[in-house]
Amino acid sequence: MKFFTTGTMAVILVLCMTVSMSMAADVNLSVAASMKDVVNVLTDNFTKKNPSVKFIKNYGASGALAKQIENGAPADIFISANMEWMDYLKNKKLMDNQSIGTFAYNELVFVGKPGLKVKSLRDLAKLERIAIGSPKSVPAGEYAMAALKKAGVDKGLDKKLVMARDVRECLMYAERGEVDGAFVYKTDALEQARTVAILFTVPQELYPRVTYPKGLTATGSKNESAASFFRFLNSTETKSVLVKKGFAVK
Amino acid sequence: MVSFTPADYSAIYLSMKVAVTATLLSLPVGFALAWLMTFRQFRGKVVLDVLINLPLTLPPVVVGYLLLLLLGQKGWIGQHLLQPLGIKLIFTWKAAVIATAVVGFPLLVRAIRIGLEGIDEGLIQASRTLGAGTFDTVMTVVLPLSFRGILAGSALMFARGLGEFGATIIVAGNMPGVTQTIPLAIYEYASSPSGDIMALALCLVSISLSVIILLFHEFLSRRLVKVD
Repeated sequence: MKFFTTGTMAVILVLCMTVSMSMAADVNLSVAASMKDVVNVLTDNFTKKNPSVKFIKNYGASGALAKQIENGAPADIFISANMEWMDYLKNKKLMDNQSIGTFAYNELVFVGKPGLKVKSLRDLAKLERIAIGSPKSVPAGEYAMAALKKAGVDKGLDKKLVMARDVRECLMYAERGEVDGAFVYKTDALEQARTVAILFTVPQELYPRVTYPKGLTATGSKNESAASFFRFLNSTETKSVLVKKGFAVK
Repeated sequence: MVSFTPADYSAIYLSMKVAVTATLLSLPVGFALAWLMTFRQFRGKVVLDVLINLPLTLPPVVVGYLLLLLLGQKGWIGQHLLQPLGIKLIFTWKAAVIATAVVGFPLLVRAIRIGLEGIDEGLIQASRTLGAGTFDTVMTVVLPLSFRGILAGSALMFARGLGEFGATIIVAGNMPGVTQTIPLAIYEYASSPSGDIMALALCLVSISLSVIILLFHEFLSRRLVKVD
């Protein structure tokens, strides 16, 4: 009997330790889909120096991620593709406010089959199908919609827009040739586009600058590994990766 | 009070339109196949049975993806048959109809088969001995006697069509006012932090429609049992 209790205690103790150890080393990332490649490189670089840290990555539309975090999805670090969804979580007291800062900047472009005679937003009326991130949750779609409205061409495009789940799906629709063109970030077009090319860059005066805020969540600020990776996100090494992938850091 | 946007109204309308069209288009084929499976013996019957019922157990995403590979701009049928004819299916409401038809088809055939199996063979034989051909027998004896089964199957397929999501989002995409059905609209609202109320309102519409159709189906099934 006595042996049994000590044995059980020992097992429970070991279980507790392994659980707490794995908990401490896990870092949950919720990252805008357009940051996928950069963050994959950064986490790889970080685990080379800190092999015990394990990353659990969740890529998607920033709005969708914000909603998941609000509903209790595990997240230590949140990188959004606009301020709106970061502020949303801030207002719900789910972020560590002091940690929030700008991570990078990006630009909006329009991609399509090379040789297509589309040089500006006005020319889009000639096309049949255009992919755009759903403005309800995809920042790239929100920026694109803002630009279309400001240029005064949104009305004519009403029934031509295919709403994508995130900006990467947008690009995929164009790559497969199922749409004539798509609004994506410059970085997506540079890194991922194979059969399509950038037809024009959306003029910056038509939409607010694409800004990626990053921040530790309220739970993330208590996670040692998450905080350490978050410091790594501010390093010059990170900045050089961002620049290499086509993002602006200033 | 919740107020639906024009795109939401068109989602409700489009759901109906797609489900009705898919059901009507499937009816003749579904009836023919059900008749074949009930009254005829032939080689490969089991294979055909499995093929008909496959979409019932297959994830709708698989159906959608295979349809996309077939009908897309770079697909076999899409590139060699549809493009020369100038037909574009993907990301149109017609693609939603095709996806819905494939996914709902097994339900239709099953219900019609139940209706056909309930027919007294003697009546069919009597019609034949009185000189009616196969076609005549089907039109004047089999069809009227299996009418409730056909109606029940159509109701089920229609209901399934209203809820089709997995295959539809792949082949028809999510285009408000063009291909966005109720489930797709709910999906879009559900992934937006500010969309909960609208998502719930559309859920309510969806639930009401389903309850009405299921009540209708239940009513038909009871009549079916009584007749037997």
